[in-house]
Amino acid sequence: MNTGSSLKALASPPLISTSLRPKRKSFPNPKFSPKTIRCMLDSNINLNFGSNPNPPTHDFPVSYATVSLEAPLKTTTTSDKLHLLVSEFRSLTEPIDRVKRLLNYASTLTPLDDSARVPANRVTGCTTQVWLEIKMDEFGKIRFKADSDSEISKGFCSCLIWILDGAKPEEVMGVRSEDLSVMNVGVHGKAQSRVNTWHNVLLSMQKRTMALFVDADVAHRERDRPSHDLLFGYVNGSYMESSSSSKLPDYSISLLPLYYDFTI
Amino acid sequence: MEAVVVMKLPSFKSLAPNAISIASGHRSFSRVRRSSSLSVASSSATIATDSEPVSLGHSTRKDFRILHQEVNGSKLVYLDNAATSQKPAAVLDALQNYYEFYNSNVHRGIHYLSAKATDEFELARKKVARFINASDSREIVFTRNATEAINLVAYSWGLSNLKPGDEVILTVAEHHSCIVPWQIVSQKTGAVLKFVTLNDDEVPDIDMLREMISSKTKLVAVHHVSNVLASSLPIEEIVVWAHDVGAKVLVDACQSVPHMVVDVQKLNADFLVASSHKMCGPTGIGFLYGKSDLLLAMPPFLGGGEMISDVFLDHSTYAEPPSRFEAGTPAIGETIALGAAVDYLSGIGMTKIHEYEVELSKYLYEKLSSLPNVRIYGPRPSENVHRAALCSFNVEGLHPTDLATFLDQQHGVAIRSGHHCAQPLHRYLGVNASARASLYFYNTKEDVDSFIVALADTVSFFDSFK
Repeated sequence: MNTGSSLKALASPPLISTSLRPKRKSFPNPKFSPKTIRCMLDSNINLNFGSNPNPPTHDFPVSYATVSLEAPLKTTTTSDKLHLLVSEFRSLTEPIDRVKRLLNYASTLTPLDDSARVPANRVTGCTTQVWLEIKMDEFGKIRFKADSDSEISKGFCSCLIWILDGAKPEEVMGVRSEDLSVMNVGVHGKAQSRVNTWHNVLLSMQKRTMALFVDADVAHRERDRPSHDLLFGYVNGSYMESSSSSKLPDYSISLLPLYYDFTI
Repeated sequence: MEAVVVMKLPSFKSLAPNAISIASGHRSFSRVRRSSSLSVASSSATIATDSEPVSLGHSTRKDFRILHQEVNGSKLVYLDNAATSQKPAAVLDALQNYYEFYNSNVHRGIHYLSAKATDEFELARKKVARFINASDSREIVFTRNATEAINLVAYSWGLSNLKPGDEVILTVAEHHSCIVPWQIVSQKTGAVLKFVTLNDDEVPDIDMLREMISSKTKLVAVHHVSNVLASSLPIEEIVVWAHDVGAKVLVDACQSVPHMVVDVQKLNADFLVASSHKMCGPTGIGFLYGKSDLLLAMPPFLGGGEMISDVFLDHSTYAEPPSRFEAGTPAIGETIALGAAVDYLSGIGMTKIHEYEVELSKYLYEKLSSLPNVRIYGPRPSENVHRAALCSFNVEGLHPTDLATFLDQQHGVAIRSGHHCAQPLHRYLGVNASARASLYFYNTKEDVDSFIVALADTVSFFDSFK
């Protein structure tokens, strides 16, 4: 890979300082620790990898600059991560820089075992092949793994997994497709395009999270334990968490966002 | 993109259209010409008067203002014509003219505007009939698109003519729209679908098709030109073989009607479908050609207004074709604009278009095949084998969607990636997807050159990440 050492070190969303890529066997803790975040907008990103005789003339927005973002005390929430990733991609005004960034992130994604590359794990609706493996750990957190035959799609998956791996089910359900539209490559602003991998992978993550959650709850009930105290409520376009245990949750598909049916 | 992009003038100075600018979310085109009268704008290609010879691509580009723009900072190179074609100014004018001056429902009112709209609508039917040499314009049924046209035949003719054990012959290279309707109908009727595979030349095996035809065969539904392989089928021969056993033939002509002379009487096919938007016309309109006797015997596909003769509370009597199959208010403006597209293409001449595209096709294949690690699907061109002006291909180690994304983002080159609505064919070829560059008569060798340079750069870019 012709990306230089500085990018190597930054090859994980969203460029949080981390020198080692943990080798994971199966659904470990999130690889990014909630420490100070150095969001480096490196001029190396402007490397002309190809032989384009007319490379983009735009300078990188923060050319030759290293920007340090002091992260909040806790940056492990889904919304914090999403915010950071959106900020990072928003700063990449040149499409080629987004592609390069995604390819870097793709390189950090642990490949899925062949046994997980099965039709049941396929994300439908993408022009590339994407496989998504999902489990709920003993703490009720959702663990994701994904892979693709496309490097750009792999980059999308890497980012989504960084945001959502280890999240609570309601956090997974709370991410909206529109939130990701700024990170598109090639389909700017077209969050609901049927070729939009962000959109399709996210929706697949949510659909299967919902299924896992329902299964877990059914198991709870079968063991005659108190009903899960988490309730999803779809209020004003956002999922709201309720601690009320007096109401039985309605896990029907209608809880999914209204845009759900358009692409899957 | 947020920034306002000022269009570059095309490099062909004598043919440059008015400079136009595009702002995000709002396209402010100043119209080249706009008819101010009630008459429908006549449409024909304007041939350049320059003394130096220019190619058909160069001479017609000025009619397509959409081509003269920058995308992602590069001059647009539009090579996704097999998915949809661009529309010349004459077609846009016809659409605008209809809505601006005589928008009205057809076949209903007795007022002036309705009569005018009906005249132009029916004139479009005559134009389409002439374009494919149908003997009678009543053999042209307007549909939403070619897919609906195939579904019409499947549901109307198929459901009432197919029985358990009957066979429908298709090829593995069919577009999904010529597979799925027959799957649905076969499930309902018990008919059996039989698929012709490819031969060593990577074209549908005609010998296999011929052997497959038997007394059980009731329909052969095949493409004329493949949207992936760029090969064409000998429809005239297939029709003879099918008719010998009393079977009907449906031709998916979506990739042939826009590019060459198609004569339905010469082909002698029973049904033929095509799509407006692939032949310089608007979306939302396509057509079915069906032999009169067949259409007359077919029950309605959709029920509603226009397709009836008399409606009673317990039953209705149906109108004659083509009205019988055109329930509800049709896409009037789009149909009229399809008529304008036919005028435009006829003004150039389909023979001229085809000859030019044959030349372009050779150039594309030659250039693309000269790149390393490129696998082009379909037959190798030769003296006897003429490919359509498209190439579906893969570059070793590079996903076609990654390739297409980079070509668009970095070079402004628009190609298609995916399975091109031909998943069974891709499966047969052993791949999940391919990239496809497809040309039309307004493309030039310079477009091909730009594509090849961009592709080489794209491959180099992704190689640098390996």
